[in-house]
Amino acid sequence: MHDRLDHHGMNDMSDEASLAAALRALPANTPPQEAWRNLSGRIGRRRAVRRTVWFTLPAAFAAGIALAFAWPHLNLRAPSPPSARVAQTSSSAKPHTRPQPDVAALQASSAKWQNWVQSLSHNGAPLDGRALASAVALQDRIGMVDLQLSAARSPAAAAGLWQQRITLLQQLGLLHLQPYAVAEQTHPAYNRVISM
Amino acid sequence: MDAHSNFQQHVEPDTIARLKGGDLTAFESVYRQFERAAWTLALRLTGRADVAQEVLQDAMLKAFERARQYRGDAPFAAWLRKLVVNESLMQLRHDRLHVIEVFDDDTLGDDSAPQPWTSADAATLDRALNRLPDDARAVLWLYHVEGFTHVEIAREFGRSVSFSKSQLARGTKRLRELLQPRVEDTPCTIGSTTTA
Repeated sequence: MHDRLDHHGMNDMSDEASLAAALRALPANTPPQEAWRNLSGRIGRRRAVRRTVWFTLPAAFAAGIALAFAWPHLNLRAPSPPSARVAQTSSSAKPHTRPQPDVAALQASSAKWQNWVQSLSHNGAPLDGRALASAVALQDRIGMVDLQLSAARSPAAAAGLWQQRITLLQQLGLLHLQPYAVAEQTHPAYNRVISM
Repeated sequence: MDAHSNFQQHVEPDTIARLKGGDLTAFESVYRQFERAAWTLALRLTGRADVAQEVLQDAMLKAFERARQYRGDAPFAAWLRKLVVNESLMQLRHDRLHVIEVFDDDTLGDDSAPQPWTSADAATLDRALNRLPDDARAVLWLYHVEGFTHVEIAREFGRSVSFSKSQLARGTKRLRELLQPRVEDTPCTIGSTTTA
């Protein structure tokens, strides 16, 4: 300890040695009796917390992953789109004759698609800005089709407009399905819509 | 480590190995072995039993939880002592106990006066030590009892070597003053002589 005495004279050295001896002679103190009990209790609590974290954290993580994969299949999953074969069935019933537009069937199909889109918008994730703008544009176009439908004079014109409405509803539904498509590209509802 | 330090104790390698493995029984044996040394050091450095209790708890808890970090370069007792010193000085800073007292040299006792600690009993010296400013008391104790050099003390405090030397010199003077009997404390016999 080279710096211990470098600034002291002989008198200080004697002073220092006697003070050191006096301080060292002071008896050691004993900590309160409850100190160990408190310390061991603290260790026990910390171990318990750590154990809980070690067990619950991976479980929560696994549950999170499972939830992410199962999300489309849970209650919040995208509702299945209605069958698009309604109008086609009626037209295939008479394959050899000139197909007559089944306005009632198209109308019913449109209503089903609309219900599907509504359930998607209620249960699905909120749309981002770009998708929301597209959804508004599609809804405007549907509104225009509805306006034209109210003025349609022939069944053929009405059938065309209903078909157009169904297509627009499908596109609207696809917008709402995008988050599900990211989570699971093979989602049945998604596939059905794509194949339609 | 200074031979006079209460921490000058050997810990069995097997105990250290078990402690590193998180064995609470091994930890208790280490705690029992060093509780008085750690408590005394914490009490001397902080000057307050309630703070010393926190220091003891926190330092021992760290010793248990960080036992794996002990590499065996120095004696285990020195490693443990460093934890106690660090915790004590941290508590002093944290609790704003670490007030630097401005010594007024004019009021300090005479350097050439006899060493009053040689004749003071332990209780008196203990009381005088507790009346010292925190810095001075801690430096005195680390230097004289634990055998720290000024360089080591300066490092622990995050201050200069001059700070350590100055605190030691002034603390010694103040201690001398505190231990010297005051003039007003000496019995006055003049009055009794005249009235007799």
